[in-house]
Amino acid sequence: MQSAGNAEIMETLTGVFREIFDSPGLVLHDAMTATDVENWDSLNHIDLIVAIEKKFKVKFTTREVASLKTVGELAGLIQQKLVAKP
Amino acid sequence: MQQQTSVNPATENLNLDYGALLAASRRLDPAKTSRKMKIALLSDAATQRFVPVLRVLFHRQGVDAEIYEAPFDGLELEIYNPASGIYQFKPDFVVVLNSVQALRANFLKRTGDSVSFTEETIARMMKIWDGIHSHLTATVIQSNFVLPYERFFGNFDHKTPESFYATVGSINSKLVEASRLRGGVLINDVESVASWLGRRVWFEERFWDSAKYFCALECLPYVGKNIVDVVMAGLGRVVKCVVLDLDNTLWGGVIGDDGIEGIQLSEHGEGEAFYRFQLYLRELRRRGVLLAVCSKNEKANALLPFERHPEMVLKLEDIAMFVANWNDKADNIRQIRETLNIGIDSMVFLDDNPFERNLVRELVPGITVPELPEDPADYVRAISELNLFETTSFSAEDSKRTEMYRAESQRREEQAGFASVDEFLQSLEMRMTVARFDSFHLPRIAQLMQRSNQFNVTTRRLSEVECKVLMEDERWFPLYAKLTDRLSDHGLIAVVTLEEREDSLAIRDWLMSCRVLVRGVEQFLMNRAVEHAKKLELARITAEFISTAKNGMVKDFFQQFGFAKVEEDGDGRSLWVLETGTYQPARTFIRPAVEAIASSVSGTATLSAK
Repeated sequence: MQSAGNAEIMETLTGVFREIFDSPGLVLHDAMTATDVENWDSLNHIDLIVAIEKKFKVKFTTREVASLKTVGELAGLIQQKLVAKP
Repeated sequence: MQQQTSVNPATENLNLDYGALLAASRRLDPAKTSRKMKIALLSDAATQRFVPVLRVLFHRQGVDAEIYEAPFDGLELEIYNPASGIYQFKPDFVVVLNSVQALRANFLKRTGDSVSFTEETIARMMKIWDGIHSHLTATVIQSNFVLPYERFFGNFDHKTPESFYATVGSINSKLVEASRLRGGVLINDVESVASWLGRRVWFEERFWDSAKYFCALECLPYVGKNIVDVVMAGLGRVVKCVVLDLDNTLWGGVIGDDGIEGIQLSEHGEGEAFYRFQLYLRELRRRGVLLAVCSKNEKANALLPFERHPEMVLKLEDIAMFVANWNDKADNIRQIRETLNIGIDSMVFLDDNPFERNLVRELVPGITVPELPEDPADYVRAISELNLFETTSFSAEDSKRTEMYRAESQRREEQAGFASVDEFLQSLEMRMTVARFDSFHLPRIAQLMQRSNQFNVTTRRLSEVECKVLMEDERWFPLYAKLTDRLSDHGLIAVVTLEEREDSLAIRDWLMSCRVLVRGVEQFLMNRAVEHAKKLELARITAEFISTAKNGMVKDFFQQFGFAKVEEDGDGRSLWVLETGTYQPARTFIRPAVEAIASSVSGTATLSAK
């Protein structure tokens, strides 16, 4: 996972999103925000974060959890964390 | 957290993965459940995500749970307002879930010392219980507190009562103590769940801060299962019997091949795992779980270790029923079930052999067959982790249960030697005490209410609190009966509740332990009920029968005593009436016990309210 490119991350993310939002046809794009996805509320947001952390074996800070606005930012942050991993 | 990768149906139902449960919660089918249950959830933490998890776990047990979530952190407001949602909801159980994080916030802002903090906390909980019980007959399921990870004094935390750690410990033990002194409060040992999973995983401070989650999401299902276990036990789903394989389960090796010197069983060394497993099983037996043996063996071989092996922990006296032959195990288990007269869903089967486990799972639906790990060193751990032996009561009678079942088989053997059943019953010198419910007997009464399925005409599952309400109501005559005979003291074996109405005496509950069938117990009790109606100058006794999957043995119960059926609906509910003037006392060889005679001298002292 360490050398994961953005495409690869997006693919894995899509799987997680589809599961959390119970939406098998969901397609992600960088500018996507919570308002674009049905049921993306604060409860599902935490479910999503926890599922992503488990999948990518990374951890977000409280500030990151609160400030993430778009799918693109999320993917970027995951990539950053994967690269920084020892 | 461990991943469940197996597709074995036996373990599929045990999957406690948060994501899987949340997904399953969206596809619950109430048609696949057999009963409804109302649960109210009161918490000082957020429970929105806990609710779907709980619903899935209940659904697995065949229960369609309707869950009422009190407004967040609104415990007191909810309880002290008689018009609040919880009282309109009328729950069967009230789950009070307190978080140590909320307690921590209060503790760190305390103005007094830790002792007064502890006292105030306990007083507050007790007021909440009393508040609930003054409006509802629901059973409260109270959580304890997870021990904190903050070590303000290091190891010295334990030495000073001022530390937060010591305070939480002290609150936990006082909470349990307070719950022991009153009925209707059961404990949800969240601390034990958290410590098993590990507090490193449990505490997720990010989501406590932002969302008031009391634990990491992955831990939620484990808390949920713990609550479901308590509720199901409260509804009477308890394990009454463990059926045991012998070779490679109770000892290492095969007794028929290896002989008494060849099997592995010893306090130290190679056979230690089996020795330790037997100690575990003996402790279960002491706490009232029956042990039965079901082994593919020559019986003489199977008995050998029990009779001759010096390090055998379990003795024949510990085994309620011993079956060793070459028949298939499903047949043998059915035979054990019939002889012990217990429900198949109250049985657990332990066998090291996967083939036998699958066969029994397949052919004996309803029985619990846990996977056993390959290494016998892990048997106890694997079984404990499933928390199979949840119960809501323990009484002195429980520890004598095996003895009573063994006496029963002795009685059956003796019976063969008598010319007639009557002669045999007479020889038993049976004595019965019938008395109004009293606080001393309430736990056993409530237990019988929860456990009796077969000899139970209405199967109302009254809790201890509800029994206490009847006890204090003058219109009611809630009675229990105790039986002794020459061979043993059977203890409290029957409960009959009678309600005085304008023109009749109504039989509301009538249930008996199946240990005492065909002894004349019900005849004795019916005679007493009729006498009582006459004393009250009531010309009729009315009764209700509610048919269930398990109480077929009492479907003709009222007819047998001359009751006439006056009403019947399509749901298996029927109403019966007896004119007391025409009643012919039923024949019984049971005589009143001495103390019962003494108290009946002073009129109806044993029956009427004070």
